[in-house]
Amino acid sequence: MASKPVQTPKFIVRALLIGAIVIALAVLPAFIDSYTLRIATGALMWAGLACAWNIVGGYAGYISFGHSAFFGIGAYTTAILMQSDFGASFFVTLLPAIILSIAVAVVIGGPTMRLRGAYFAIATWAFAEMLMQLVTVLDFTGGTAGLSLPAYLNEFFFYYTMLIAAAASFVGVWLLIEHSRFGFRIKALRDDEPAAESLGIRTNLVKVQSFALSAAITALFGSIYAYWTTYIDPHSVMGPQITDQMVVMVLLGGLGTIWGPALGGVLLWITNRYIWSTFGDTVIYLPILGVIIALVVLFLPNGLISLLVGRQRGKELISNILRKF
Amino acid sequence: MSSASSNAKSPGHPPLAIESVAKHFGGITAVDGVSLSADAGEVVGVIGPNGSGKSTLFNLAAGGLKPDAGKVRLQGIDVTGWPTWKIARTGISRTFQIPSLFINMTVRDNLLAAAVEGDWQRARDRMEDALEMLEISHVVDNLATELSGGQQKLVEFGRVCMRDPKVILLDEVTAGVHPNIRQIILGAIQRLRKTGITFLVIEHDMEMVKEICDRLVVMDQGKIVAEGDFETIANDTNVRKAYLGRT
Amino acid sequence: MDLFLQTLVNGILIGGILICLTIGFQLTFGVLHVIDFAVGGWAMLGGYTAYWLVTLAGIDPFISIFLVFALFLLIGRGLGPLIYRVRTSRYARPDLMALAFTFGLFLFMRGGALWLWSYNSRSVESVLSGQFLSLGPVTIPLMRLSAFLMAMLFSLGLFILLYRSRFGMAVRALAQNRDHAGLMGVDVKRVSAWVYGIYTGLTASAGVLIATIYSVNPTVGIRYTLFAFFVAVLAGLGSVGGVLIAGLALGLLEAYVATYIGARYSLLIVFGTLYLALLVAPKGVLGRGI
Repeated sequence: MASKPVQTPKFIVRALLIGAIVIALAVLPAFIDSYTLRIATGALMWAGLACAWNIVGGYAGYISFGHSAFFGIGAYTTAILMQSDFGASFFVTLLPAIILSIAVAVVIGGPTMRLRGAYFAIATWAFAEMLMQLVTVLDFTGGTAGLSLPAYLNEFFFYYTMLIAAAASFVGVWLLIEHSRFGFRIKALRDDEPAAESLGIRTNLVKVQSFALSAAITALFGSIYAYWTTYIDPHSVMGPQITDQMVVMVLLGGLGTIWGPALGGVLLWITNRYIWSTFGDTVIYLPILGVIIALVVLFLPNGLISLLVGRQRGKELISNILRKF
Repeated sequence: MSSASSNAKSPGHPPLAIESVAKHFGGITAVDGVSLSADAGEVVGVIGPNGSGKSTLFNLAAGGLKPDAGKVRLQGIDVTGWPTWKIARTGISRTFQIPSLFINMTVRDNLLAAAVEGDWQRARDRMEDALEMLEISHVVDNLATELSGGQQKLVEFGRVCMRDPKVILLDEVTAGVHPNIRQIILGAIQRLRKTGITFLVIEHDMEMVKEICDRLVVMDQGKIVAEGDFETIANDTNVRKAYLGRT
Repeated sequence: MDLFLQTLVNGILIGGILICLTIGFQLTFGVLHVIDFAVGGWAMLGGYTAYWLVTLAGIDPFISIFLVFALFLLIGRGLGPLIYRVRTSRYARPDLMALAFTFGLFLFMRGGALWLWSYNSRSVESVLSGQFLSLGPVTIPLMRLSAFLMAMLFSLGLFILLYRSRFGMAVRALAQNRDHAGLMGVDVKRVSAWVYGIYTGLTASAGVLIATIYSVNPTVGIRYTLFAFFVAVLAGLGSVGGVLIAGLALGLLEAYVATYIGARYSLLIVFGTLYLALLVAPKGVLGRGI
């Protein structure tokens, strides 16, 4: 980011809009009960996760089905370091969690991102399942029984932690993708890899950078989530339902857009909680999620954001990304 | 990065020197021991029938393919087998036979993306220059997919100009475009060669070849079958054989 | 040595069923160019159908498997045009939309099964349950042997259909080149829908066999989707012939890991191998084409 591109009035309008939303979210807890606060905390988490997935899935054009691995890495790092053997405090565990997830993303990202399309999707999925099985057989991760964390029952703490994490991720991704040189690199890579390479863009490096960034944000939310729920096991933080939701939220909201994933994340999580409170459990959520995906694919392939934005340009962007896949 | 350095001729080292490169695909020999060197400011035309190995030669020079034998040197630096991005940063820029713009980006972003690994400070000035030279300022905020075929060729040419290259490879840059656009591209080539940039041009359009190329290289079945100025080539029996199948 | 032989036999028997599980998936990829996430879901539903048929109507799974095949053939035939539409639609020429669609379908199946039948595992009883055949040092549960033979029968049936019938010729032409096959008078849409039906029928039948040998619960689908991916990737996506070897390879891998390293490591090693196989040979170890 040696020099800033011209900052149009659009930039200022958007910055103000984001600022207003963050302030509104910051004062929100004063007006809602603790049950609604928990839902809002979850909505922030899923919005942040959807933004993270969108970096790789939407901007780099690589559809990952393995992001639950990074969520789990974050959750387990925090959980293990907070066991009485180490006794680390929560915020101290965030750094190792992020570093570990970046390390894993760099190691597997290089070779895996040579694969394209469905092969990449299957490979990331296999990797995530493998990691879940590994956590299940190891001792220090607690095996199938999982791990308990020291309970900290302060809903406000978790709401504001999630808010800071989600806002930082959103603003970070926005600045990095829409207002920095990295954004040119990653979009060029997505649209035409040989052409990007012929212009001196080191595509393999950009791929790994975007994968690592996405993994780090995912792991950050995994860490906060572990402390929030106070109990984790392989299935709850590494199971396929984590990835399922991330993918669906981005598809629903709008692939490769800034607002789409956040919108999809919030809406889908509220739907999830609504179903939970209506039916008493979330099992029915899964088939409904399935139907939503099928309907989005059939009738709204550009996501909800295309209804809001409605401009031809937004629609074309997404269908082009899809065609590329 | 060397993009800020000048295009001045380094003594003894031609900007581009291809030394007996060869490339096989399975049992087929696409390029068979081709040697070619170009001086600063020179425009070399590469012609030949379809499948004669012209595009493969470009890919070997620009790093899209690794040669099975031979060397590629840029101003004396051996870049054989280097990754494409590294060769690009060393000073080769190219266009593709099928325009390969970044389809979800505007013309402005297409041009800026080309400078992202180069001179970023002056990227906007360069963009204005390129837009003006190629007469596409009015579509700067259009998406690449909204452009006509000719405009896409212009943007791709513009992207090459953003990079301050020493050697530019143009792969059928005027194929199927409107005469006006062809004129714009010709003008741009003439202007850039005066600054010392070397061009290697694959072209089927003989009028254009005649107009801009200092020297022609004729390829057939992976080999160079003739070399010389336009008049020599036009009267060469090997060339007629390659193109027409008879003498 | 006895243990080694016993493991070999176990591996081959399971491998046969994995072949039946994946062979239709490969055909679908070859013809429709769809990677069906729901492959394990079809197997799971097949298992449940057999369970209810034996529980409510007392039909032995080795008989009901033919009913299951017919039923899922028709379900798949009905769903086929929708898959075809997604795969060839204006937006959705890409694999992704089809991938996402079958992903949604799979989620629907898994969630629906959980909702209706909860997490409990159900075993499918057959008259052959608990009977054994002794061959020298090797003991073979009669049920596994029958399941293996049944899987081979279905797979053989597919090969006969593909290579000895007009329909099979159309399918193979379609797999070669969709446009040309269309020009030659093949009703691309209809054949594609039937191919999807044959795939769901075969996969559900394999699910019956799996449920009979082990048991069935709503979440087994994910594992069998990954198993199918494993076999398909090893064989080369779209290669029907390669499945014969790749299926046996996975069966043997799982059996030997379970015997010599420990059953709880078998999934870890299977998924690890799948991941590495993709990195080393993304286009398949055994070549391509039907």
